[in-house]
Amino acid sequence: MHPSTFAHWSLSTARDLTLEAARDASYARKTSTRTLPAAQLKKLLDSRSERDVLEGLRRIVTMSYRQPPSQTLPFFTHVIKNIASPSLSVKKLVYIYLLQHAEHEPDTALLSINTIQKSLTDQNPQLRALALRVMSGIRVPVISQIVSLGIKRGVGDMSPYVRRAAALAIPKCYSLDPSTEPQLLDYLSTLLGDKQYFVTGAAVAAFLEICPNRIDLIHPHYRSLIHKLADMDEWGQLATLRLMMIYARKCFPRRTKKVKKVAPNTNAITKQKTTKGFYDSDSESESEQDQDQDQEMEEVAILDPDHELLLKACQPLLQSRNSAVVIAVARTYLYIGPPAYLTLAIGPMISLLRSASDIQHIALYNIVQVCLLYPELFVQHYSHFLVRLTDASHIWRLKLELQTLIFPHAPARVQSLILAELSHFSHSGSLDPGLVREAVRAIGRCAQSSVTSPKTSARCLKLLLAHIGSADAHLVAESLEVIRHLIQRDPENHRTTVVRLAKHLDAATSPQARASIIWLVGEFAGLNPENNIAADVLRILAKNFADEAEPAKLQIVLLAAKVYVHYLNANQPPEPTIPAEQKSSSLLEGFQDEDGFRDPHFQHKEEEMDKEPEKPHAIEALYKYILLLTRYDTSYDLRDRARVYRALLATPSSTQLASLILLAPKPVPQTPSPSETRKGYILGSASLVIGDEGGVGGIKGYEDLPPWVKEGEEPDARLREEKGTPSAYEAGAKSISAAERLDAAASSSKPVDLGTSPSRGLNGVGLGSGSAPRKEKTLDDWLAEESEETESEEEEESEEESSEYETESEDEGEGGRLMR
Amino acid sequence: MSAVEALYIFDEHNTPLLEHIYTGRPPPSSTLLPLYLSHPSPRPSLIYLPNTNPPSLLYSIIQDQLLFLSPCSADTEPLQVLEFLHRVADALEDFLGSPLLASKIESSYDVVAQLLSEMVDGGVISCTEPNALRDVVEAPSFMKNLLGGVGLPRSTTPSSLTPSATPFSLSSRPTAPKIASPTTASPVPWRRANVRHTSNELYVDIVETLHVTIAPSGRPLSAIANGTIAFTAKVSGVPDLLLHLGCPGGISNTVVLPVFHPCVRLNRWRERPGELSFVPPDGRFVLAGYEVDLLGPTALDIFTTTAKSMPKLNIPATVHINTSLGPAGSDFEVRLTLNPRYAGKSSSPLPSATGSSFPRGGPRLGGAGFGSNSGTTAAPSIEEMVVHIPLPVSVKNVMDLRITRGLGDAGYAPGDRSIEWRMNSKDINHLFSTDKGGGIGITAILRGTVVGQEDEEDSNDVVGLGASNPYDYDEDRGSSYQAPSDATLGGSKRDDGANARKIKHNKVLMPSCATVSFSVKGWLPSGIKVESLSVDTKRSRGLGAGVTPYKGVKYLCVSRKGVESRC
Repeated sequence: MHPSTFAHWSLSTARDLTLEAARDASYARKTSTRTLPAAQLKKLLDSRSERDVLEGLRRIVTMSYRQPPSQTLPFFTHVIKNIASPSLSVKKLVYIYLLQHAEHEPDTALLSINTIQKSLTDQNPQLRALALRVMSGIRVPVISQIVSLGIKRGVGDMSPYVRRAAALAIPKCYSLDPSTEPQLLDYLSTLLGDKQYFVTGAAVAAFLEICPNRIDLIHPHYRSLIHKLADMDEWGQLATLRLMMIYARKCFPRRTKKVKKVAPNTNAITKQKTTKGFYDSDSESESEQDQDQDQEMEEVAILDPDHELLLKACQPLLQSRNSAVVIAVARTYLYIGPPAYLTLAIGPMISLLRSASDIQHIALYNIVQVCLLYPELFVQHYSHFLVRLTDASHIWRLKLELQTLIFPHAPARVQSLILAELSHFSHSGSLDPGLVREAVRAIGRCAQSSVTSPKTSARCLKLLLAHIGSADAHLVAESLEVIRHLIQRDPENHRTTVVRLAKHLDAATSPQARASIIWLVGEFAGLNPENNIAADVLRILAKNFADEAEPAKLQIVLLAAKVYVHYLNANQPPEPTIPAEQKSSSLLEGFQDEDGFRDPHFQHKEEEMDKEPEKPHAIEALYKYILLLTRYDTSYDLRDRARVYRALLATPSSTQLASLILLAPKPVPQTPSPSETRKGYILGSASLVIGDEGGVGGIKGYEDLPPWVKEGEEPDARLREEKGTPSAYEAGAKSISAAERLDAAASSSKPVDLGTSPSRGLNGVGLGSGSAPRKEKTLDDWLAEESEETESEEEEESEEESSEYETESEDEGEGGRLMR
Repeated sequence: MSAVEALYIFDEHNTPLLEHIYTGRPPPSSTLLPLYLSHPSPRPSLIYLPNTNPPSLLYSIIQDQLLFLSPCSADTEPLQVLEFLHRVADALEDFLGSPLLASKIESSYDVVAQLLSEMVDGGVISCTEPNALRDVVEAPSFMKNLLGGVGLPRSTTPSSLTPSATPFSLSSRPTAPKIASPTTASPVPWRRANVRHTSNELYVDIVETLHVTIAPSGRPLSAIANGTIAFTAKVSGVPDLLLHLGCPGGISNTVVLPVFHPCVRLNRWRERPGELSFVPPDGRFVLAGYEVDLLGPTALDIFTTTAKSMPKLNIPATVHINTSLGPAGSDFEVRLTLNPRYAGKSSSPLPSATGSSFPRGGPRLGGAGFGSNSGTTAAPSIEEMVVHIPLPVSVKNVMDLRITRGLGDAGYAPGDRSIEWRMNSKDINHLFSTDKGGGIGITAILRGTVVGQEDEEDSNDVVGLGASNPYDYDEDRGSSYQAPSDATLGGSKRDDGANARKIKHNKVLMPSCATVSFSVKGWLPSGIKVESLSVDTKRSRGLGAGVTPYKGVKYLCVSRKGVESRC
């Protein structure tokens, strides 16, 4: 408990005890009588006995939570009257009421400002902080100047608790009256340099609220913020990590120091590939530059010492119990660190899967996002991605995706484990039809990943083929869809598969599944002419044409047309094969040149077809029969298509054209991982979870990563030393750092470690920064570097004196710290 | 980018309990609740509502049957809000007592209001540490006696509040500087100031939750135990504790991916794994969480198609399902195997993991001896055994459900999605008493018959289909296409074909997995145990000389549908 609370208690211990007894009694009483009539309540509030007032306030607060404000508003004056009460408990409750109702009665609320202002000078820091918080929380614009003054007083307060309240009041004051910004920024820059970690945490949060782009305010405090990072509370850490990600992007260009690569070429290529993936999210305009830099980065990742300081300071946070912090660190490493750091974050991200299912859900989205870029890092954690019975649908969906993402990179044993897992869920046919469908799709994605070996692909196909006979219609339809994709990727090796499929045409009831099979049969009508089933299938299908569903009918017509074209191609008696081929190629020169429309494999197919011995009359008759049937179909789409085919195939001269249209090689279908669409969103953002549902470009308030600053355009590194020569780039920083210089000069008599923050001298805060010794080494590094720089820049005119002076005082400070 | 705009709490019947608005003008709870409920269950923790004004992200958690909602109009870090909601629930529970009930909130709105306004300031999360909140908000008075904070002598020495003396002057009490020299220690932000307890007690509860997946072959695919170390500190002053964990295989090989309460000194853990050095918050808190892979790093080597040796997985109970039994393939059999080690009798020898039990470590801990947990540590016993068998949607009924061996209570009502087979500890004890001591384990068996909805039409269908099968490509008559091709062979084989078809059809109705839930007191799958827990008297303050706190350790292994066997 706070000292002042004790003070208060001891002042009136006896009274307190009675109060307590009263409250105890009230607990019992409350259950019976909930609300008192208004008159009685007012009487309680107006009472001179503190106990009664407190009781009345408790009832009012209860009411305000349970009922609309209109119910509690009539008591406004009665409540506010008690604001001058000496009792802290009464004050607290009055403040709570005031915050909730001030907006409805701004004029009356203003009357209370005076009393609150008095509390700002109270002896009790808790009360001071409370008063500041309440004053800034009253949303009445006219008082903005008073609030600003209150903040100013709070900034200089002795108690860190009050200073934190001041920091948190800044955004509130800003939203009250944006014109106060200049003053507020002033206070903010003082608070950012505060010695107390929980003050700076709040200050950073306030900074992000009102002016996230004024990174010039951050320069002088950069290092002290980083040093405090580990000690801040979780929320401060979150704000700081967010700020530092933006800061690093804007201030640390990816180094283009001339480092020649020595590594052999092959190595370089693979490495380059990974680094490129790492910076994938950058805008394309930069890509060229990226490449240049990547080539150098592959040798040594040249990090600014300050940049590295940040990355290292994040490391202990990976063990945080707060999942948001872990993700924030992962985000920092992903977007501003070299890949080596990201590896550190993988394990902790996985550990989030232990937490409650709501957190697990969000964590999975983030894991998928990283996994899209670096699947190989997650392979060893495969066992965490196994779907459990208790997982809800939104969780297993993401887990299945993760399995397929790591699949191509996993060793053979893990691959077979994943396949076993997927096939279990696909054939179980049971718990959730959605799960079955997703599992089948997942198998398809496993099979068609570019890295997967043909053997594994064949295994996947085998798994899927086993489903065709299943009694579950959904499963069959889904499997066929995936099988179709797989076959299209490698038609040569799947001839018998198609035959198998055709045999199951009869068992398949779902129109989609039938359509898929018929289409595949048609695609393969040209292959293996001696023993082709297409015509035969067509014959059987023609029998029940009228009973088919529309999708299947469409495919049957198409099949008929294809079979007929093949027949026509094979039976062109007058012209030998070769001229026909030449003719076709001459006709299509443009196509061929442009996009390689016809591949050699296809031509080969045609040649084979030419030898096909078919019974011409049967096929032609079948074709005509189907066309005739479609003519009387109810579907106009079907009739239209039939007309097109009829026209195309009517004259022998257009046969070439028809075969071009009908027998064109189809592009291989790609089924990207479902989360590919979210790939552009930043790790850890809500837009990543919501996806494009929230509108393109993310939900309101979503901000994309700032691009890396270009080499040479970054702010001077010396700005981060406490205040080196301000560069022309940062005009705004100049005045501020000048003001701070004065502060520093005033307090430089003390051996305070000015190196990190000049304003630490404020508030008479002494030594004893707990985090300093741990980071000593890096501190030494930059001190050494800084002194070099100072030497090299002896010639600089205006600021020379002061900067040299600073360096000295800094050294003193450092020495003092080392002694400690 | 205010993180938290408002907080709404609803009770278990979704009646609004509390509505606290922090900043902006978020949609009221009366608008949000129907939108939330209209989302199909299970509801994700983050829902986007484009049609509210303004369009909102809706975060939700359910804790202690209370529903916590928080709308947000701009993109924030989702985990930040969710963690915050959890912290709110924790803080309320801490102040109002566990379990958190709607009635408790209703009877102390004033405390709740103070808490909520301390935790968030203008939409920015400011302070969620229960101990720090205790410094600024009075707990309801029935707690006050426990905390012992009433009527302390007055001493207002403003000078002692200067930050130079104590960096955490917020929590520093006037008396603190006298005890502590400013250089060596500072009161900690997560610990309430001026803690006084008449009886000093320390409790360590280690709970491990099992997550095991067993393949149809009986081979474990994954076996993970998620451990949580819950700590209860009721010690006066500012104690500095050292908790030493031990494990047969070495802590660093066992425990992976640990997370710690901010009070734990990470460097110490890194240098000497297994040693947790910390100044605890007052009261109960989660000290650390970790994970143990029970299969070990060699698990992958074992997962080959030829391996005969199964990895040794020492868990108390497993289940196995045999499906497609009986003439029509509609029967199934669930075999529950219990490990005789967990019979709960001290006579049964224990594996090394639990062999050296805690009492022996007691004297080392300053003579204060641990609690009476030893009885179960020496002979852990299984309790609350439940087997769940989820059923496919197409199953309409389960007939003839009977336990052919063993005891218990198997329940299923037509339309249920799962069968539940419960055994109380008496049943389990009875089972164990039948054990012949072969060491193989005790088996209990449940059998049942599933009934789908289209059973009757089925048989006609089969014949018709089989006879009219027009395709006759012989080259790949694979095994999986046996049924239709058999049928074409002629009438004599039709019955077989029909049966095969039926079996195949019933296959869809078969359960595909079963889970076992249980709890075992006094045993941890990982074998982790507390070697020692000591108070560092040099670094601690405020704890009277010669005071040795009472210490207690509890181990608990739970599986909440955690052992999952597939078939």
